[in-house]
Amino acid sequence: MSRERVLKRLKDLLWVLAISGAVIGVGRFVHGLAASTNMMDSLPWGWWKIFNMVAGAAVATSGFVIAAVIYIFRLDRYRAVARLAVLIGFLGYGASLTALIFDIGLPHRGWHPFFMWNPHSFLFEVFWCVSMYWGVTALELLPILSERFPFPKVTHYLHEIMLPFVVLGVTLSTMHHSSLGSLFLASPTRLHPLWHSIWIPPEFLISAMGAGVATMILVVLVLSWLYRWERLLPLLPRLAVVSAFFLGLYLVVKGVDFARHGKWNFVFGPHLTWESWVFWGEITLQTIIPLALFLTPQLRRRNSMLFVGSAAAFLGLVAHRLNTGIVGYFRTSEAIYYPNLSELILSFGVVAAAGLAFFFLIEKFPVLIGVGFGAPEEEHDAHDHVSEAPETGFYWTWDELRVLLTGRGARRVAMISLLTIPLTWAGLHEQATGAFQPIARRVEVAVTGSDVMRTTLVLNANRNDDAIIFPHEKHQKHFSEKFGLKKEDTCVKCHHLALPKDHNTVCRACHTDMHLPTPMFSPERHASRFEKPEQRARFEALDLDDRTENFEACMICHEETMRGLAAYEKRGFSHVAPGFVQAMHGTCMTCHRLEEKDPTDAFSLGNCLGCHRWTPPPEGQEVAQADEPDEPPEPRPFPIPGPVIIPKRGASSAPEASH
Amino acid sequence: MSEGSTSETKSKAKAILTDTTKCIGCERCVQGCVKKNQLPADLPAHFKADDGLSSVRYTSSVEIDGRQEETSRFVRRQCMHCVDPTCAAACLVGALSKREDGSVRYISSKCIGCRYCMLACPFSIPRYEYDEILPYIRKCKMDETCRVEGGQPACTAACPTGATLFGLREELIAEAKRRIAERPELYVDHIWGEHEFGGTSVIYISDTPLHDVLHIPTPEELARRGVGRLTHESVPHMMHGWVMVTPFQFLGGLAVLGGIAFLRRRSKVMAEQAAASERAHESASSAAKGERAP
Repeated sequence: MSRERVLKRLKDLLWVLAISGAVIGVGRFVHGLAASTNMMDSLPWGWWKIFNMVAGAAVATSGFVIAAVIYIFRLDRYRAVARLAVLIGFLGYGASLTALIFDIGLPHRGWHPFFMWNPHSFLFEVFWCVSMYWGVTALELLPILSERFPFPKVTHYLHEIMLPFVVLGVTLSTMHHSSLGSLFLASPTRLHPLWHSIWIPPEFLISAMGAGVATMILVVLVLSWLYRWERLLPLLPRLAVVSAFFLGLYLVVKGVDFARHGKWNFVFGPHLTWESWVFWGEITLQTIIPLALFLTPQLRRRNSMLFVGSAAAFLGLVAHRLNTGIVGYFRTSEAIYYPNLSELILSFGVVAAAGLAFFFLIEKFPVLIGVGFGAPEEEHDAHDHVSEAPETGFYWTWDELRVLLTGRGARRVAMISLLTIPLTWAGLHEQATGAFQPIARRVEVAVTGSDVMRTTLVLNANRNDDAIIFPHEKHQKHFSEKFGLKKEDTCVKCHHLALPKDHNTVCRACHTDMHLPTPMFSPERHASRFEKPEQRARFEALDLDDRTENFEACMICHEETMRGLAAYEKRGFSHVAPGFVQAMHGTCMTCHRLEEKDPTDAFSLGNCLGCHRWTPPPEGQEVAQADEPDEPPEPRPFPIPGPVIIPKRGASSAPEASH
Repeated sequence: MSEGSTSETKSKAKAILTDTTKCIGCERCVQGCVKKNQLPADLPAHFKADDGLSSVRYTSSVEIDGRQEETSRFVRRQCMHCVDPTCAAACLVGALSKREDGSVRYISSKCIGCRYCMLACPFSIPRYEYDEILPYIRKCKMDETCRVEGGQPACTAACPTGATLFGLREELIAEAKRRIAERPELYVDHIWGEHEFGGTSVIYISDTPLHDVLHIPTPEELARRGVGRLTHESVPHMMHGWVMVTPFQFLGGLAVLGGIAFLRRRSKVMAEQAAASERAHESASSAAKGERAP
């Protein structure tokens, strides 16, 4: 493929991604964050924030490094790429901020940090510096507009006032790059020590500068190949040395940091975890490969080697930011995050839109000085070379619009939509169906459960995935009316499955016994409720006893209330109860308490300690001795609320050690 | 940091003490919280992959292994209401703040939904309403809004065994110490939350170590991570140095870069002037030569 075709196809791809991303972005606001992302409570910062914002800002650093070199240090040989560098910064930050609009929960409040201050927050600093820096880069780019359109006075004026803004922009840049690192200072116990360090602010700043210049090299190489420029290429070996300086400095700082804080064992062992290997991969990409290529004079003169080195530095930096922001949290969060399709499409869509804007600006505006390209006075030459109207992928002028409407343009549109529609559909389908639910929200066990308020339960009592809807609250009400009990004291009428004086019974120790025969169900009482004799006869013909194996028989009459779990899931029931599990507790006790002769007896079945000893006896020690009191306990400043009284630990009421 | 705060704040600061040896895992505290805050239904804690907290459950009960075989302990999870909260230092709009009554308050009208508090919280407590179109942070409040009769939060008021108590922080620490002193063979001689991360207003005593379930690393683990200071120091305090650097970084950056720019510009201008004058001189002399030549 010729270079022109590659450029065309590249733009087509960017269009596909940008359009898909825009549609998915609308879907994110319609469906919400849970449907469109894999973010979860234990890993709240996902791909959009870490990749688009933290890594995106870092690779767009070239703007401030090159601007400093040219405007502050006055190294004029780099002047040709000055605007290119600032443009990368402007568009990179623009893409990052656009992605943030989708990421934060309440984007319509994005202006809040301007008026509601918390100067102690590093995020506050990042917000202010990034937004101000973005404004400064926009100002630095204004000359390309004023030169493109004939405003010579404005141009002159802008050039005059540029220097203070460059100084301000560079200062703001150093601040927010270190602050982006400081964000992760807040998780010293959650982020893996390989990435967390008290030195993280300078490490972020230095690595961003190195990788930013490398990204600049990468962009110039790609553009020079695409547009057949030669004049910028001689600059690149020098830029490579600049990049290598910062990357090497980063390596040194990281090494000293590890030595200072005793972290070499995470890198070299003896007990290497998977994080160590991830770190090795990252540091190899980020520093070792680029340093080896950039610091060897024979290699850095070759464009292919420059390409490999700068691409490695670029990818290594992205890996470093992703590891710091996401991967380093995996171990302590006990969860794995990976972006879903919607997140990826939107993320790359935003980047693609920035890429389109980039191509548009460098083709139509005087971004690059002295490469014989883009400047308005040289446009006529370009038109002379191309006989027919150029197909640039942008529909800016009437000529280009006409291309769109002719056959070739239509083919192009058809191809773009052919790719866009399935991609968009896949992303939206995922959002709508919630195919990738956040891990923390996935229920690991079979879908059974109960609401903690226990109003209506879906019971899977026999653990065979046949479930019934059980109106629990109604039953409680019925029993309380019938027996004149308090609502919470009615439970024992049904649930009577205690293991009395069992030491420290786990709730589930009882509730796994639900497949055993229980006296829960009384056939006589059930039969007495039938008003019509034929119903009663039909019931008695079933010959039911009090075993739970009667489930099938119950189904004969109660089809409406007893169904398979799948049927309830389809009806949107997500709160399904596991048999007796939630039902039991606080039940035996409450009725026992009513019948208790001595309510102060802590170890009677009416009190918690009757079943749950609050003091498990130490190994090999007699229980009675452990509980032997010498004197009555002195009054405490914290009287224990509720009906349970601080136990008088008399020897007579102490439970036996046997089960 | 607890030493740094004034005595007035200390005397007013309320706290919650949870004694896991008394907890029977009945989830009455969760019920009380749910009733008081009118929260919708959710799956119970042990059916979730994480610790049971969610955007509609501000507290939960987590089962861990007990000291003996085949036994369990139940540990109440809730916002720790740190004395010097990391979330409050992290929030860029100041939506989270420590109040005099000991609670860490969330002002939802300020929140922009960046979720930095969730990332910053050492205990992974704040939850987010990912399902909502306009989502907010949700966590335990421990302020007037959840008090019931008697001035207690709904959760501690509901506890049937007195496993979780509400009171002044100082008094509760004294109570915890007394309990440990009374039953040294039972309790682990440690009050979780007394000093770690600068102290928290929700403290725990137990007969089994709670480091893992509470996300409070052991001192050895902290030292291994190179942040041993956190056994007694808060995260905001640890970060404070870098916060203080910021204004100096701004002013220093402006001064240094501005100075360099000014000097470089002046030398450039002078060089240009010199070149121009030289050129002028040359052209003048060549012009003179040219005049003379013909």
